[in-house]
Amino acid sequence: MVRFLQACADGLLTGALYALIGMGLALIFGVMRIVNFAHGAFLMVGMYATYVLFDYFKLNPYIGFLPAGIALFIFGYLVYMALIRPIRDRSHFMQILMTTGIGLILTDAAQLIFKADYRQTNIDLINRSVHLGPFGANAAEVLSFAIAVAFVVGLRAFVVRSRTGQALRAISQNAEIAPLMGINLVRIQGISFALGTALAGIAGGLLLPRLYLFPGVGEDYTTKAFVMVVLGGMGSIEGAAFGGLVLGLSESLTSLYLGNQWALIIDFALFLLVLSFKPSGIFGRQRA
Amino acid sequence: MIGFKIGWKFWVALIVLLLWARMPWFIHNNYQLQVLFRITLFAALGLAWNLVGGYAGQLSLGHVAFFGVGAYGLALFAELGIPVWISAFLAALVATAFAAIIGTIAFRLRGPYFTLATIAFAEVLRLAATNLNVTGGAIGLTMPGLFVGRAFWRSFYLAAVALAVVSFLTNSWASHSRFGYYLMAIREDEDTAAAVGINTARCKVYALLMSAFLTALGGALYGSAFQFIVPDSILTIDISIQIAIITMLGGAGTLLGPIVGAVLLLSASEAFKNVFQESHLLIYGVLIVVVVLFMPEGIVGGLQHLFRKRIKPPKDAKPRSVLGGASQ
Repeated sequence: MVRFLQACADGLLTGALYALIGMGLALIFGVMRIVNFAHGAFLMVGMYATYVLFDYFKLNPYIGFLPAGIALFIFGYLVYMALIRPIRDRSHFMQILMTTGIGLILTDAAQLIFKADYRQTNIDLINRSVHLGPFGANAAEVLSFAIAVAFVVGLRAFVVRSRTGQALRAISQNAEIAPLMGINLVRIQGISFALGTALAGIAGGLLLPRLYLFPGVGEDYTTKAFVMVVLGGMGSIEGAAFGGLVLGLSESLTSLYLGNQWALIIDFALFLLVLSFKPSGIFGRQRA
Repeated sequence: MIGFKIGWKFWVALIVLLLWARMPWFIHNNYQLQVLFRITLFAALGLAWNLVGGYAGQLSLGHVAFFGVGAYGLALFAELGIPVWISAFLAALVATAFAAIIGTIAFRLRGPYFTLATIAFAEVLRLAATNLNVTGGAIGLTMPGLFVGRAFWRSFYLAAVALAVVSFLTNSWASHSRFGYYLMAIREDEDTAAAVGINTARCKVYALLMSAFLTALGGALYGSAFQFIVPDSILTIDISIQIAIITMLGGAGTLLGPIVGAVLLLSASEAFKNVFQESHLLIYGVLIVVVVLFMPEGIVGGLQHLFRKRIKPPKDAKPRSVLGGASQ
């Protein structure tokens, strides 16, 4: 029982980070109806940005993720303006190809610049742990959990309360009427793409201390992000956050009972089940 | 192929084919033959993908699943003592059965959901192959040789040519038959196609079955030629992307597109191999972006568009197409 609860706690700790990744993807999908196949690659870029800050400026990754996130925001905006905006009225077929292409370019550019070496950041925090009764957790994971939760709550507040957030929701509800109400479609789409990218980058920065860094590190996260977004209902930001938690839990429990290598298979099985039986997601409304 | 006219196009195709098949008699260098083998094989794979991705307009990024089942199936059936060629065809049948399952589930979904589902299926197979003992896990399997001996690469090359010819004929049939028109109708507007009485789900599944059979044979050939398979080389999503971009670059939904795409892309990546080394996929990424932005119909599609005399549509009619907006 203790092991089960411990696994649940671990799952939630990871799940909060997943939620951040999933919300980024959901934001982009909700506002643009574009499935961003480059999401994992953006996460990888965020990790490398944080790593570079750590390596050259000795900046702790738990501080470095912020400038990395800002850099990714700008980067995402530029990518939107240069590559996504021209194809925003095209078919899904072309949009998926485009984001796949962007992902390939980023991954292989990273490979060209940083080579395929595995890298790691060694910080003290990763070796400390926090105890609460019979349960224990890595201090670094608890810290990244707290930061992730702050961002999840902050993002929700931004989307619900702020004027930009309202414009964003208006577009995701009806992209044809919203511009008639004086909303600048291109600006809002650019901001949401940039924000989605920044969230992936921030999650990458927060994941950095726990993972080995290499150019292909993001690939699994693209698919994982889809699973979360599909679980929560495509385009629903709260749903994606929920999907992230579910995924974190299911991975942690699979690791406990079946072994770590099956975690990803269970992810996909979950994904295919939801897609086949309730494509609108567990929370999602039915869409045409 | 009913109503297939033997015109000048047929003779040109025959001459090109004969020249193509005679290549090994001009080239004796094994490395060059190996490159030629890959070009031809990927042309065949592109043609097979074209049935689903080109004519039916369904962006599958999970074709590596069939490719991998073909390779693994050959190895596993041969291990049971079944003759290698029969094993290869059995493996292709297994892949077709897989396609039936994948198709029935994934084709209920549209657009990005469909693409995601195909990726998920392929990834499940990759992870299963990595974790199961029967597939040799991450260490992989040694492949039985479909051909052995001195004429190794020449034989494999000719087998790839044969596969490409079969795939080409299937495509050529699809572009002229009722079935092919159904597929194109689905690509242009699925709801309308269904409304005029086309069983869209069944048509898409049939296209996928043919495509999977051919792709699996390609996988068996590829695996056997390179003698050794591991999940990360034979079931990686990179192969799915490669097949798709070959077809898109050449022109999806055209007969010659996949061939042109394979020749261009594989020779380019061969030429840049030493420059970029492990980053040779970079060129694929750049090409995808360029194709999507500037020539959504691909090279062959764009040229056909330029040279074909067409009846002008009325000014207010807006042709809509999955492949970018021009073909009608």
